[in-house]
Amino acid sequence: MSKYGMLIDETRCTGCRGCQVACKQWNDLPGEQTRNRGTYTNPPALSAKTWNLIQYTEVETNGRAGFYFLKHACMHCEKPACASVCPVGALYKTTEGPVVYDDTKCIGCRYCMTACPFSIPTFEWGKGLLDQALIRKCNFCIDRVSNGLTPACAKTCPSKAITFGERDKLIAQGEAQIRKYPDKYVNRVYGKDEVGGTSILYLSAIPFDQLGLPRVGTTPVTALSEQVMEYTLPFAGAWAATLAGLAILFRLRNRGAQHAADDVHKEKSA
Amino acid sequence: MTNDWVDLKNADAIFVIGANPASNHPASFTWINDTRERGAKLIVVDPAFTRTAAAADLYAPIRPGTDIVFLGALMSYAIQNKLYNEEYIKAYTNALTLVNPDFKGPADLNGFFSGFNKETSAYATATWQYQTDKVKVTVKEKDASGKDVDVEKEFSVPKQAANLDDAGTVWSQLKKHYARYTPEMVERVCGTPKDQFLQVARTFCATGAPDKSGTILYAMGQTQHTVGTQNVRAMAMLQLILGNIGIPGGGVNALRGESNVQGSTDMALLFGDLPGYLGAPTDRHGDFKTYTAKFDTTSYWVNGPRFATSLLKAWYGDAAKKENDYCFNYLPKTSGNYSWISMFQAMYAGKLKGLIAMGMNPAVSGPNARMERKSLEKLDWLVVMDLFETETAGFWKAPGVDPKTVNTEVFLLPALDAMEKEGSIVTSGRRIQWRPRVAAGPGDAKTDLAILDRLAKAIKAVYAGSTDAKDRPILDLNWLYGDDPEPDVWLVAREINGYALDDVKDAAGATLLAKGALLPAFATIASAANFDAIACGNWLYAGYFAPADDGRGIWRPAARRRGQKDPGNLGLYPYWGYTWPANRHIIYNRASARPDGKPWAENKKLIWWDAEKKTWTGYDVPDFAPTKAPDAKANPAGAGLAAQSGTDAFLMKADGKGWLFAPAGLAEGPFPEHYEPVESPVTNCLSACQSNPVVKVWATDKGKPVGDNIGTSDKFPIVCTTFRLVEHWQSGTMSRTLPWLAEIQPELFVMIGAELANERGIKNGEIAKIVSARGEIKAVALVTPRMKPLTVDGKKVHMVRMPWHYGWQGLATGDVINDISPHVGDANTMIPEYKAFLVDVRKA
Repeated sequence: MSKYGMLIDETRCTGCRGCQVACKQWNDLPGEQTRNRGTYTNPPALSAKTWNLIQYTEVETNGRAGFYFLKHACMHCEKPACASVCPVGALYKTTEGPVVYDDTKCIGCRYCMTACPFSIPTFEWGKGLLDQALIRKCNFCIDRVSNGLTPACAKTCPSKAITFGERDKLIAQGEAQIRKYPDKYVNRVYGKDEVGGTSILYLSAIPFDQLGLPRVGTTPVTALSEQVMEYTLPFAGAWAATLAGLAILFRLRNRGAQHAADDVHKEKSA
Repeated sequence: MTNDWVDLKNADAIFVIGANPASNHPASFTWINDTRERGAKLIVVDPAFTRTAAAADLYAPIRPGTDIVFLGALMSYAIQNKLYNEEYIKAYTNALTLVNPDFKGPADLNGFFSGFNKETSAYATATWQYQTDKVKVTVKEKDASGKDVDVEKEFSVPKQAANLDDAGTVWSQLKKHYARYTPEMVERVCGTPKDQFLQVARTFCATGAPDKSGTILYAMGQTQHTVGTQNVRAMAMLQLILGNIGIPGGGVNALRGESNVQGSTDMALLFGDLPGYLGAPTDRHGDFKTYTAKFDTTSYWVNGPRFATSLLKAWYGDAAKKENDYCFNYLPKTSGNYSWISMFQAMYAGKLKGLIAMGMNPAVSGPNARMERKSLEKLDWLVVMDLFETETAGFWKAPGVDPKTVNTEVFLLPALDAMEKEGSIVTSGRRIQWRPRVAAGPGDAKTDLAILDRLAKAIKAVYAGSTDAKDRPILDLNWLYGDDPEPDVWLVAREINGYALDDVKDAAGATLLAKGALLPAFATIASAANFDAIACGNWLYAGYFAPADDGRGIWRPAARRRGQKDPGNLGLYPYWGYTWPANRHIIYNRASARPDGKPWAENKKLIWWDAEKKTWTGYDVPDFAPTKAPDAKANPAGAGLAAQSGTDAFLMKADGKGWLFAPAGLAEGPFPEHYEPVESPVTNCLSACQSNPVVKVWATDKGKPVGDNIGTSDKFPIVCTTFRLVEHWQSGTMSRTLPWLAEIQPELFVMIGAELANERGIKNGEIAKIVSARGEIKAVALVTPRMKPLTVDGKKVHMVRMPWHYGWQGLATGDVINDISPHVGDANTMIPEYKAFLVDVRKA
């Protein structure tokens, strides 16, 4: 079992988006050019520049309005599909819980994007492959967590909807909360068993799929991909060799990490 | 706030009406969420299903501008169902006081109170006064030879009845007045379905029990109406009836709209005041004696003249002497209304030549903003002190304006942000917190203080050496903030806190305060024999910067304390910062105890009478004379608090009572009465008096494209109300310029219900046109189930809701919503009616 997790009690969330902005601030992510498309949700989806997004759901039941909020970001699976399909081992599950990635290994193949059951990893579409466009997603503020701080989103949440802590304890806490207020919550902690368990756990007043969380079952996606991989070993080997070759090619073409850093800087000042 | 943010955790019911704390005060949800988990109910009454409504246990819709009907009906419900706290009402309010028999109210006079003058649209208040009893008291006086003699003197005191329902009592008048405010009337006027009103009434009025408390949270949804002041009074009256004032988890709590707006109000930001709510002198006050005669002599305000003296000593130092009225004649005297709307009307008429806008953005925030921008064109000069080039600083290049036609000279002075300067911030809960500077500002940007310091010094230099008497106010003005280009903010704090100009002594000659020492509390001003040896810039802040214990034995200026002890676990945190007045966290807290001095209930105990030690004690600083026993009798011959009894909990009132009936102070009557907004879709169901009869409706350039035009429901059938988002701040100057905030709310939008959108053929995300009698703007249509039409007096009324943060400058832009709001304001405060006006919505 992994160590850290976050319990998100969506009944306490007020949709203030403090977490969305705090995420951008800590991770130095630029603002996006957006439009109002007839919803509060903005930017429209997760992107390389937006790793944490509040999604707003308006429902009407028996003529009465309901207004619900979902904090949408990486779930940090116990058995991450993204890591299992990553041909170069850029994505990996840390012993502390977060699923993180190594930019120096990522080759921008986007396998993780198709594998993720929660549609989390995004790609730097604005950059060309040759500019070392990479995969981007929430990294659980691994730099903060590994230095004894709580993730930026949990730290900023004014309504105490996000609790950071040890996953086992958070599950117990979530279940205790449901037992205490059975009328208030759906009788389940989402993420306890989903795809074999996730580090991010949710409590909700309305069915999780209405809130925007997918029905994914309890089988880890990795189990499926491993089955497939078993029958395609020769092909996979050849493919891996091709990818490795590409990786070397891209690395040679690149001006390296400094180049990438310059880009980020330019983007920020633009 | 009568209470404080953290105190929300002590409430059994939180009633939000005219506020949206989830969006506009997100930090409050730390406490609101915790309170709800303990079983407290969150009630939200609002025209829209807001983010706060999303968290609520109970939500009921209401038509903008009808709060008095809702609140009046709640009072009526509590009265009819005997849910009020009778002992509280009898002891602490003026319910038993008898009113002039000639008093008549709207129930008798079809919407008016007695005393209305149609010519002047104002009330004569003679019939609103209490009946009085003559009381004879023997007092000791000295005769001609200096001997003590007993003299019998006669005093007038308010006449009290024995029973609440005796003829002529405030209570019987109140019952009669609000008998008209029924649940059926709520449904008819507010559009709130009767069953939903009754649910709210049952839940909130249950807090009338002595071991329960309920709090009311409000903001601009209550105040920005032509009946704004009466809305707030209606809430206060409901809380008095339920015995919810003065106790933990109770109170009437204004959620202030800016981080230091409480502080700026305390420091007399508004034209009608002097620091500490002393009231600005008017042209009726020819000398200091006439001015100080306005203070009550039978309440704590008996010290008003002393506080005013210490203020003049702070401003004019040695020049202020008893012989020259402490330089009272240096103060400008008002001779009319200088509020926002009046000021812009004067500017429009060309009477005002220059304007300094400090952190204000009238080009976006003022009502009928197109007209206000035109007013700016009439200025010779405009100085804007702000962080960015605001719409006001750039009004001359607004869309549709030809810069060549504007002759106003504009100066933009770059100012620093709150984080870039040291100083105090006062929360809604009156807690003063000193904050350090945490970031350097860019370029030449200066603190507001440095800019004003430079200006004051330059003006003083221009007048230096003048012997002209009229220049004395400038020459004699104390300006003791140091010689550096950046003035010492600690010296400003010292002046506001107060200090001894000479040894301060009591009547017996003992030294209370040595020369040069910081004033520890305003009680020193009240008790000093030579109180004119004290300089104090704001009596309410006396002691806020004096050294105080932080609960761990560390002494530091009180506002800089960060002690975390919390006696009683009520969330008072008395060692954190400094809460005015006198570090009291819940004001009127004498009412937290029964008349006999014992707490109403163990779970709500705050202060109580210790009969053995003969003193008030408890968790909070008593808002009462500390050793006055509960059974102490009032002495009609006494001055100030001596004239009040041991149960007179409202010690700032001349009769020591919480006012269910206001004999003075309000322009439109002693009881809140419903009047429709100036622009309303319906006729008033309660009386023939359509809108507030004492409101001034301006008619400048009426009929012209830009002018004071009032719309009618035949052309503009939809009610528009403005609101604020969590993502933007005020006129957007500080938020529409930030990419992270601009991306999440990038454009002006209008919230439209699905039914209305359908009727007008407007689809979600399309551009809609919103038209009022003042003009027309465009916005993205947000078609949502969170807005629904209401049935008002049998007629379907649609509402739309628009955030007012947008303008043409910055990263996130949009039309200025206030281009369509009207130039009308509350009869007492002149706050504009932003929250209810008429529009039409069309497909663009």
